[in-house]
Amino acid sequence: MRFLLSWLREHLSECRLEAAELAARLTAVGFNVELREPADGEGKPGDEVWEVDVTTNRPDAMNHRGLAREAAAVGAGELRPLDLSVTEEGTAAGELARVRVEDGEGCPRYCARVVRGVRVGPSPAWLAARLSACGVRPINNVVDATNYVLLDLGQPLHAFDLDLLEGREVRVRAARPGETLRTLDGVERVLEAGDVVIADARRPVALAGIMGGAETEITASTRDVLLESATFHPLRVRRTAHRLGLKTEASHRFERGADRAMARTAVDACAALISRIAGGEVAPGMLDSAPQPPAPAVIAFSLQRLNAFAGCQVPPEFVIPLLTRLELAPRRDGDLVSCTVPTFRTDLELPEDLYEEVLRHWGYERVPAVLPAADRGPGRRLGSWPLVERARRALAAVGVAEAITYSFTDPGLEAATASSPLAGRGDPVPLLNPLSARSSVLRRSLLAGLVEAAAGNLRRGAGAVLLGEVGRAFFGTPGGVREEERAAVVLAGEVGSWDGRRNADFLDLKGLVEGFLSGLGLPPARWRPGSCALLESGQGAEVMLGGRVIAVAGRLAEAIGERLDIAQPLWVAEVDLAAVAGEGTATFRPLPRFPAVVADLTVRHRVDLTYDQLVGALMAAAPEWLEGVAPVVQYRGEGVAAGEVKTTLRLTYRHGERSLSQEEVNAAHFAAMERLAAELGVRFD
Amino acid sequence: MTAPQLQAVRAEFDAELAAAGRDPARVEEVRIRFAGRRSGVLRELEERLKGLPREEKPAYGKALNELKQYISERLEQARRGVGPAREEIFLDVTLPGRAPRLGSVHPVTLVRREIEEIFLRMGYSVADGPEVEDDWHNFEALNIPPFHPARDTQDTFYLPGGLLLRTHTSPVQIRAMETMELPLRLIIPGRVYRRDSDLRHSPMFHQVEGLVVGEGITFAHLRATLEAFVHVLFDPALKVRLRPSFFPFTEPSAEVDITCILCRGQGCAMCSGSGWIEILGAGMVDPRVLRACRIDPQRYSGFAFGCGLDRVALLKYGLPDLRLLFSGDERFLRQFGSEGAL
Repeated sequence: MRFLLSWLREHLSECRLEAAELAARLTAVGFNVELREPADGEGKPGDEVWEVDVTTNRPDAMNHRGLAREAAAVGAGELRPLDLSVTEEGTAAGELARVRVEDGEGCPRYCARVVRGVRVGPSPAWLAARLSACGVRPINNVVDATNYVLLDLGQPLHAFDLDLLEGREVRVRAARPGETLRTLDGVERVLEAGDVVIADARRPVALAGIMGGAETEITASTRDVLLESATFHPLRVRRTAHRLGLKTEASHRFERGADRAMARTAVDACAALISRIAGGEVAPGMLDSAPQPPAPAVIAFSLQRLNAFAGCQVPPEFVIPLLTRLELAPRRDGDLVSCTVPTFRTDLELPEDLYEEVLRHWGYERVPAVLPAADRGPGRRLGSWPLVERARRALAAVGVAEAITYSFTDPGLEAATASSPLAGRGDPVPLLNPLSARSSVLRRSLLAGLVEAAAGNLRRGAGAVLLGEVGRAFFGTPGGVREEERAAVVLAGEVGSWDGRRNADFLDLKGLVEGFLSGLGLPPARWRPGSCALLESGQGAEVMLGGRVIAVAGRLAEAIGERLDIAQPLWVAEVDLAAVAGEGTATFRPLPRFPAVVADLTVRHRVDLTYDQLVGALMAAAPEWLEGVAPVVQYRGEGVAAGEVKTTLRLTYRHGERSLSQEEVNAAHFAAMERLAAELGVRFD
Repeated sequence: MTAPQLQAVRAEFDAELAAAGRDPARVEEVRIRFAGRRSGVLRELEERLKGLPREEKPAYGKALNELKQYISERLEQARRGVGPAREEIFLDVTLPGRAPRLGSVHPVTLVRREIEEIFLRMGYSVADGPEVEDDWHNFEALNIPPFHPARDTQDTFYLPGGLLLRTHTSPVQIRAMETMELPLRLIIPGRVYRRDSDLRHSPMFHQVEGLVVGEGITFAHLRATLEAFVHVLFDPALKVRLRPSFFPFTEPSAEVDITCILCRGQGCAMCSGSGWIEILGAGMVDPRVLRACRIDPQRYSGFAFGCGLDRVALLKYGLPDLRLLFSGDERFLRQFGSEGAL
């Protein structure tokens, strides 16, 4: 909120502090003076406009008087008493207008005064300048007077043209559903049952605590004014303001809690000001729906507990005078201090609220810094943190650049990337109020964001892309939303080094995924062909561990690439981290004690005999001391019949208990070849 | 037989070995011709040594030994593929190496781990919780009832079934206080969501919060913890300023400023001339929040603090724009390595 320094000082009997010092002290007690600039126009020389951040719990300081009270508390001077004199003349207000509050919850207090015979016109320059300095546009002297009192004392007021109020009466009541009201901004508002309205005998004339109606506003021809100064229910003002999208100076304050007592003070101040600047006479008497104030709240606290809470000693000689300056009327009885909460401090309820009052004025920097005693054992990562952190490290270890993409995405892309056995385990979860249609549904696959990011990199001319992410996928279930931890990668463009580059293919992707899974400490998984709409037909695989699909991998379906304007292959994989959470504790295996015998074997076979089938048969045919088989090269083309392929395998024979002789290896090797030829119909080179 | 004759044999050997190039079979032929055990040239020369006069024997023998050594070394070099072709394979050590593709970790992950490490060392555990929340955990239990003005600053994405995307990591505090045994010492990093998007706001960002609840926890503890945190994360020379503020879930509340890391307090564009930058929000856990979690505020007290991880990453790495973090631009992502600063 904007404050004028000279206006602030007017509320202090003497201002003992320079502007800079006052700003620093106010900031130190929680009123952050964010900006100070010279006031231009009619202001006094050296005057300043301040932008002060008043927190939402302190509506009482959202006006010059309230901030001056804090200024007094930080030593700027004494708060000057308000001049509450009003000169009354003519017919009593009670005979000129009537006020009836029918909705006591919505309106705990309604005060009104009548000013007769005003001459509506421009405000005097000093007043217009003050409003402008605080960012309020001057309108006419009567309306300006209400705004001036708002900025001065914090009480929102409204001026009605009394002659336009049907029956010269005001009823504060709940709106009837479907009722309409044209507000001052010219918009026709349709009202609902929870709204509080000010009505005359016939129709609503104002939206309580938010905005007046156009039909009863002050105009050049207004003669008699009914001034409203009321207290409205914060929640009901807020609901209505929210529903209608109407935020005003008045609603801002009422939502945060208005001062019941100020309703009466402010209407006097405003009536006196109007009669001063717009002529007219203030009718004797105040219309007040609730003249009896409720008993004020009392909060008691123990000085000892205050010190225990703070972790330092704040002497009573500081506490008591401070609370007095804040108008909390402290009464000390030994260790116990009771405070009477003034009506303007709607934020004070508990002893802790008073601890805050004391500590912010004592100075946070005067509280010593003492680390809490180490009363707990060492900390550890809980929940899914150990799993996702291992996954992040495993991704980095295989060369992936970690990305973080949005959890929400485009529904079309979401559906496309979710069409895999991994992601199709629940419904998409829509956002009810998305920022745009392109980010209106939660992802069921991390690939939604990753393929988009990969496409962005390729469009920027990247020759190689290798991105990954660890994060959550979201699934709508009858009971709510299930969150699953996932890891995903996308690979595109070239792999290799500067003197040996080639385009990435499926085996590059598979190697990445295998490396990642092994980085997680998992045993080798089984890969089998898998087709789903996510992946290009015949170019995808499902990765199986313990009978479950833990990952999908393959070439992204061309149709999805087209959606992203990408023609080149994108190789993608996604891993269900929850499915592998319990797996993979590395255990020591003794190192081999006896030498290995290595023999190569070149097999000619049909292309549809898979590597897994070939090696499986070989392992079954050989003795158990065939330790392992690895591919050396695969060849098809010249010299190999169509539909056939030549695979060279390297077999490692090693016995755990003794050295093998070349003769027994040879015998086993040839026996295995014979069985293989018989079982699979393969031939050897 | 004289030394010059041996020189001729050496020249002949050099020529033949050069002609053999790197072909192992031809190198072997050269070896057999010169160094063969039965009929090699060297063998012949040794035979001749026997027939020489006694006075010539020492000089000839020495020269022959030298030749034998030379031939054997050159043959060995030829077998290993080095030697005569040395000048052809000049090694340019300035060529770029064949680099393995190194992974990189997102800057937000790097600062998150750095912060976790600081607090793990101080006995905090790292907790997590759902990103999809209900109103109770995200708002009500945190002393933010429906229509509370504080909801204004936390524009919320709503989901069907009364659910929402958490607007801060604070609901994890509530879940921890509801379910875990006291005393608590937790650090809670994670993704959060607010319906806001411009240069300084992203609809998705990251927070880390800390929570300590126990008997006798004081404001002095909070202050010391924040100072330790800032000093380890940034620089022990930085000043930490606590400014009274308001959050519904803490009482008293503070905004935490540190000396501007760019201008060191002189005032610059980054700190809007104030010399300070706001880095954290903190406070003592509001007794209403403790009660909502069935914790007796008469017996227990606590403190909490929170900050934006993305903002810390921006400050630490001097990034110009929050949105870069979520761009997926690999040129950006690969700038930070996989380990970060120690």
